[in-house]
Amino acid sequence: MKQPLYILSACSISPQHTYDVEHFLDPIVSSDDNKLYVTNPDYAKYISPVAIRRMSRMLKMGITAGMHSLEVAGVKTPDAIIIGTARGSVTDMENFLKDMINLKEEALTPTGFIQSTYNSVNGWLAMMTKSTCYNQTYVHRGFSLELCLLDAQMMLAEATEKQYLLAGGFDELTEEYFIIRDKIDYYKDEAINSGNLLSHYNTKGSIGGEGAHFFTLSNDPANAACAIHSLRMLQKPTSQELQQAIATMLEQNGLTNDDLDVMMCGMNGDSRNRFLIDPLIAGCSPNTTIASFKQFSGEYDTASGFGLWLVNHLFTWKAIPSAVIYQQGSSNSIKNVLLCNVTIACNVTLMLVTKVV
Amino acid sequence: MAERVVITGLGIISALGTGKDAHITAFRNSRSGVTSVTHLKSIHAHEFVLGEIKMSNDELSEKLGLPPGDNGYTRTTLLCLAAMDDLLQITDIDLLRNEPFAFINANTVGGMSKMEDIYMDVITTGTDEKNNKYINTLDCAESTENVAEHYALKPMMATISTACSSSSNSLILGARMIKHGLVKRAVCGGGDALSRFTLNGFYSLKNVDKNPCKPFDQNRGGLNLGEAAAYCLLESESAARARGANIIAVLSGYANTNDAYHPTAPSPTGEGASRTMQQALDMASLTPGDIDYINAHGTATQNNDLSEGLAIQNVFGTSAPYFSSTKPFTGHTLAAAGVIEAIFSMWAIEEQMVIPNLHFETRMEELGIQPVNTIMENKDIDHVLSNSFGFGGSNVSLIFSKA
Repeated sequence: MKQPLYILSACSISPQHTYDVEHFLDPIVSSDDNKLYVTNPDYAKYISPVAIRRMSRMLKMGITAGMHSLEVAGVKTPDAIIIGTARGSVTDMENFLKDMINLKEEALTPTGFIQSTYNSVNGWLAMMTKSTCYNQTYVHRGFSLELCLLDAQMMLAEATEKQYLLAGGFDELTEEYFIIRDKIDYYKDEAINSGNLLSHYNTKGSIGGEGAHFFTLSNDPANAACAIHSLRMLQKPTSQELQQAIATMLEQNGLTNDDLDVMMCGMNGDSRNRFLIDPLIAGCSPNTTIASFKQFSGEYDTASGFGLWLVNHLFTWKAIPSAVIYQQGSSNSIKNVLLCNVTIACNVTLMLVTKVV
Repeated sequence: MAERVVITGLGIISALGTGKDAHITAFRNSRSGVTSVTHLKSIHAHEFVLGEIKMSNDELSEKLGLPPGDNGYTRTTLLCLAAMDDLLQITDIDLLRNEPFAFINANTVGGMSKMEDIYMDVITTGTDEKNNKYINTLDCAESTENVAEHYALKPMMATISTACSSSSNSLILGARMIKHGLVKRAVCGGGDALSRFTLNGFYSLKNVDKNPCKPFDQNRGGLNLGEAAAYCLLESESAARARGANIIAVLSGYANTNDAYHPTAPSPTGEGASRTMQQALDMASLTPGDIDYINAHGTATQNNDLSEGLAIQNVFGTSAPYFSSTKPFTGHTLAAAGVIEAIFSMWAIEEQMVIPNLHFETRMEELGIQPVNTIMENKDIDHVLSNSFGFGGSNVSLIFSKA
């Protein structure tokens, strides 16, 4: 599909100071217990005092990131709201489930049940923007956000006029969810400083993270700094299949390896995916600067949202913050960026993001 | 882009049984699958009737050739496997192995039916050998990934969760992927198993009827929950014709809109649902008069039936086509509701029948229309509209037409 997704705005609520983008990495937020929780913005900006009291933090995060993205883009009522989340509001699910167990199925209040519904943020955003159009929720683990972007790409390809879509991904870390995932080797056995994640690539597991990332997307390039031109989801690829997918993607866009100014790599520090990461880095052109972000976002199913937010801002800043640089390349322009996200399950997603001229 | 998307294969398991014959026989005999509870272990189990599938997890496993006991599959996945197995009775699996296809599944609570039994152990730190097989099942994609893996299929996968409209959205996504040329075929549907979590959730919302539900009845008292899984094989008409496939129906129209009104309640005037049905008609280039039967969402909650009834009246007038809710047969099967009712709609075309709205007695005082409450056979059914509405204001309408 040839339809570019022009990014009109990107909003992030993450462990770092990303919501107020001026203060990104000033200071760097880190942790020493393998958990990175979000730095909360002022949720009262978009949510009424009455609503906010009953709302769980995932809802507040999702709604605020979505509304802020639209405000920055100057869009009041989007033509579609498409969201990806692997787990929705985990806290609400936990609360309702534990109440049900502890109270022996008696005298339960429905708030947690309602808010744990995976499309509850979709519903709130539709209400708040009076958007009665297409509304969709993808819940497929490490592909959730990418499926949402694929849908957005189809929507814009189907459109006969200018359209403005709100697309986003979010996931939440909780203490209980951390324990569950720790049991399936999602996180490192040793406690590390999050900032040093990539110097721990010899042991299995990563660090936990969370965040909400929303993008206002359009088929209209006006006011966009960059656009997603190609998108791929690879299920457990071999290293060779990954290299081939990248080569094909570049070729389809008339590019070669040397044309990549930046590879934004979702390295998560898990030794079990080095068979993908090591050849990927070795195969990069000397022109290409390799950047990484999971030492700032933590690892979670929709962490690629942080990567895409950062890629978008490389184009608006016209610079790469030194703290995200993993390996400096010789290119001094930012025109073509490949976002390559690798999950704990060794699934890979690719997005080719190109400057709008 | 203009090519039609057709349905060439169906697979289903619900409280009425597995496959077409079990369902059609039940419809013809007005035999409901909503009964007292056997398998769900809830304190409230004896108080409710549910559309429970009449097989234990071990019986389902045996039917699927899987070992009994803790085999790593949640009931949700077992139901999805049973539905896929039914689809593969009439569809050669090589068709899915030799050419790229999408598997689009829908789900509301993942493996909750298992996790709610072991959750307190699972969140206790330390080793957990006993529960290890199930630890990664509390997300909606677990059944999707397990089904693909079980059949050694490598599709493009997606899982959707928009509450009670989830699997209707699966069909829309599959159709769009085919139209965009991303895949030639798509297996689309969804599944949900009963869980205490869901039962208590709806119970705490006070919209569960402990007796058999009565959609569109003045004296309706809420919904009955159920469980089911079902899949449809969608493909481009040219792909279907090229292999000489039997075309069951054409997916001629669809629409997804949002109420933008309330987190759990539909707009009382039916404005949102009206818009959805109208958009689906527009896409199919049909007028309201072309629709021969509406398979309504019809949950039997106060809110839904008023909103949907008014919406049907808005779009179709008081001379609305035959309409019925089939939920008294199956219960409200949540993520599976959209696809099982899509299948019932296609069977209405194949069998030229209108499925009755069981338990209907008294017309709602707000409405000038009422559902069909006895089976109607030998009717000219060419176009059927099927509605699915969910929490979060999610509205979906699908239109199926005779091939």
